Amino acid sequence: MELFTPDFGLVFWMFVSFAVLLFILYKWGWPVIIKGVESRADLIDKGVEYAQEAKEQLQNAKKESEKYVAEARKQQADMLREADRMKSQIIDEARVAAQQEAKKVMDAAKVAIAQERKEAELQFRNEVSSFALDIASKVVRNELADEKAQTRLVDTLLDEMEKQN
Amino acid sequence: MMKRIQILFCLVMVAIMAPFAIQAESDGHSGELSPKDIIFEHLGDGYGWEVPFDHHHRIPLPVILVGKDGFHCFMSSKVADGKKYVDGDKTFFIPKEGDYKGKVVQQLADGSVYRPWDISITKNVCELFIACLLVLWSVFAVARWHSREMYKAPRKIRGILEVLIVFIYDGVIKPTLGNRTAKFGPFLLTVFFFILYLNLLGLMVVFPGGANLTGNIAVTLVLSVFTFFATNIFGTKHYWKDIFWPDVPLWLKFPIPIMPIIELFGVFTKPAALTVRLFANMMGGHMIVIVLTLLIFIFAALGPVVTGATTVVSIIFSVFMLLIDVLVSFIQAYVFTMLSTLFIAFGTDPGHHEEKKEAAEIKQIEEATAA
Repeated sequence: MELFTPDFGLVFWMFVSFAVLLFILYKWGWPVIIKGVESRADLIDKGVEYAQEAKEQLQNAKKESEKYVAEARKQQADMLREADRMKSQIIDEARVAAQQEAKKVMDAAKVAIAQERKEAELQFRNEVSSFALDIASKVVRNELADEKAQTRLVDTLLDEMEKQN
Repeated sequence: MMKRIQILFCLVMVAIMAPFAIQAESDGHSGELSPKDIIFEHLGDGYGWEVPFDHHHRIPLPVILVGKDGFHCFMSSKVADGKKYVDGDKTFFIPKEGDYKGKVVQQLADGSVYRPWDISITKNVCELFIACLLVLWSVFAVARWHSREMYKAPRKIRGILEVLIVFIYDGVIKPTLGNRTAKFGPFLLTVFFFILYLNLLGLMVVFPGGANLTGNIAVTLVLSVFTFFATNIFGTKHYWKDIFWPDVPLWLKFPIPIMPIIELFGVFTKPAALTVRLFANMMGGHMIVIVLTLLIFIFAALGPVVTGATTVVSIIFSVFMLLIDVLVSFIQAYVFTMLSTLFIAFGTDPGHHEEKKEAAEIKQIEEATAA
């Protein structure tokens, strides 16, 4: 059968043309393409890796910034609280100091008043006694006779004076 | 809806017109319709290239003969239609009967006829050159892109070509051949594109297609001979040991070498299977389409109604078959490449690493199941 017997001419040309085609493509065709495709695939892989890394870094940075913000906020709140606390403390302290000072002043005043009073009493007593002595001397001078009655009078006067004070 | 009406209209027109066309055709032809001759003419080779819709004119192609008295070169138009070409004392013609039917023969001075070595640029050879140029153009289109544009992605036709290249290279060649990819990859890629282009060109009716080359045993034979040489020239010790001293019980290989004989036989049946698979598939596809078309003419004798009906059915079926053949073109190119890859991989297997690979695979499966 003609269909099943290879024709010499076609075999010859087929062999020649395929060999030439193979030689050309083996030398200058396929290696270029394969190398190009592979280097491009590498580039794409690297690009994807880089993008992923960048994304991760960005996320990290975001997280970090959020952390910082939260920290700052916390610090701010702490500081505010601290200030508040210090304020009330200062006020308290001032109050206490004022009270103490006032008390001190009052005490001093009291002591002074007491002192003064004592001095006044003393003076008064002295004056009274001098008055008394004056009166007594007057009584003595005027009414030497009725000595007993005079003394009694003096005493009553003195007692009254004392009671008044 | 409009589309369906259009299609229906076309079919009806075909059914009505077909009988007239056949009538006109058979008026021009004298003699009976011979389906066998038509099929063989379409599947076979020719010294000229047919002009579409014209049975009488052919584009002449050079005829090159290596006879007993040296080279002879002339255009095929000189021996067309039974003409005799006389060049000095040499006469050439194409006999219509006998052993050399349809081939150019030389008539010697004493009247005896013999067939010289025929390396004419026939239709098939011409088609072969066209396919080679197409493959060259496609590959260099992509290669040029890669050397010029570097990292840009190719578009349009280059994109399609690159997808095909990567599909074959990364999908078939690389996983099978491993570290031998660089050595045999270019050959296998060339084989794939060459077969694919020839298959598709074979499906086209007019120029630049028209010749049924992958359905020709000479082409597939040469292709598988290349695979055969690649397998056996680069065959490793391991490969030859598997042939002459395979791992089978001793009585199977000594004293009567049953297995070695079978294995040695297998060395030749592998490329033979490659040859016949591609050849038979492509030839069968072409034959079915031709037969379906011929049915119209065979049934023409039964009257216009039958002819019209047959025409519609035949056309639908041949369009369907042609579409299937487009698929088959790709599948057969793929299968040829894949089997060549496998044969070369077997032949150049360095041995021992197979066990390692198996162990690695088992480990992988274990890991997968564990996960």
